[in-house]
Amino acid sequence: MIYLDSAATSLIKPASVERAVLQAMRTMASPGRGGYAASFRAAETVYACREAAATLLHVNDPSRVIFTMNATHGLNLAIRSLVRPGTRVVISGFEHNAVTRPLHAVGADVRVAGTRLFAPKELLESWDTALREAEVAVCTQVSNVFGFVLPMDELSALCRKHGVKLIVDASQSAGVLPVDMEKWQAAFVAMPGHKGLLGPQGTGILLCGENGEPLMYGGSGAESRMQSMPASLPEHLEAGTQNVCGIAGLLAGIRFVAEKGTERIFAHEHKLLQTALASLRDSGLTLFTGEEGTQSGVLSLRAEGLDCEELAAALAEKGVCVRAGLHCAPRAHESAGTLETGTLRMSFSPFLTEEEVQKACALLLQEIR
Amino acid sequence: MTQYLITFRTLTQAQRAARVLERAGYTVTIRRTPAKLSSSGCGYAVALRKQVSQAAQLLKERGLWTGKLFRLEADGDYREVLP
Repeated sequence: MIYLDSAATSLIKPASVERAVLQAMRTMASPGRGGYAASFRAAETVYACREAAATLLHVNDPSRVIFTMNATHGLNLAIRSLVRPGTRVVISGFEHNAVTRPLHAVGADVRVAGTRLFAPKELLESWDTALREAEVAVCTQVSNVFGFVLPMDELSALCRKHGVKLIVDASQSAGVLPVDMEKWQAAFVAMPGHKGLLGPQGTGILLCGENGEPLMYGGSGAESRMQSMPASLPEHLEAGTQNVCGIAGLLAGIRFVAEKGTERIFAHEHKLLQTALASLRDSGLTLFTGEEGTQSGVLSLRAEGLDCEELAAALAEKGVCVRAGLHCAPRAHESAGTLETGTLRMSFSPFLTEEEVQKACALLLQEIR
Repeated sequence: MTQYLITFRTLTQAQRAARVLERAGYTVTIRRTPAKLSSSGCGYAVALRKQVSQAAQLLKERGLWTGKLFRLEADGDYREVLP
């Protein structure tokens, strides 16, 4: 199998992740619920993961690292905290349904700014204008469909300039690019644990610049006589027993990323992107690619006259795992003019080799000939 | 040796305080707060045995001091004390 769908889930994990999950399952009980060793072991693991995430993602207080079930959960929490019916919200033209559906459900007044692919300067100009009338902005750091790296340092500076609260979707960037809560001064930054951070599915992180409003209410292991959630983070936003086994795996994933370094991981994935582009150039495929520095390790492509889903199915039969269709991001496809056809997406990971990418590309070329 | 408890409203607050104290060289443990000391129910405490005044000062400097310090008395009861 050649796995090229890490933008959905990083299937290949460090061995330490699997070991940590198993160890947690065997030895850890509920954190913050008991006064015995198995409970404290769980609590220590959960807190260690908060600390590791805070260090990697530049958060000055580990209490501001909230565990969620995925990025979608974190984005819902962030959006429900800041957006009310009619709130003017600016988004980029590359947002995932995890952003646009909660905004739609709340009844936000959504304005899309910056729709041209791999055009960061144009996007910044659009945002500078759109933010004048906005209260909240939600923006992905990297497009999950095209790997377009949005200029988050500059976007966050624009939000501060206009006094607009910023929610960042770091689903495709956490573990690959610098995610810097302190620099951005964002209200919230949401991310999954199961993609670039190399943790198990069912894990996610929400970094909180603000206290936020709970999406769920329930037991927190603290202040049990009170009928409101504890006022302080993270218990304020974490109701019910956390996914301790998942968090133990996530801690191992974060430690791997921290040891390897996001710069090296990005450089490796960038090299794989270049390998794919070199293999597929002059093939007649439409390759969606940008200038140096504007694209992560994600490549969308289209074969004229061929259905992307059928092409992906043919590759799956040969053991190549790619994702086709709209990638839960119709807004991004609309921006790129691929809403009707969808695209076939290859996405890379730290464990993938150049040889695997070349082989997958060769199989793809066989299919289109 | 006398045992002291610094009580916190949540586990994470206790963990943060414990980390600060550990990094400053204190030997501490986190434990459940005795029910009679926890007016809102289910709290956590950091237990330590010495240099409690300096520990309290350190937590104040870090914005982690809750103002709730108890000493374990010979009769097994806890008494609130000033650091």
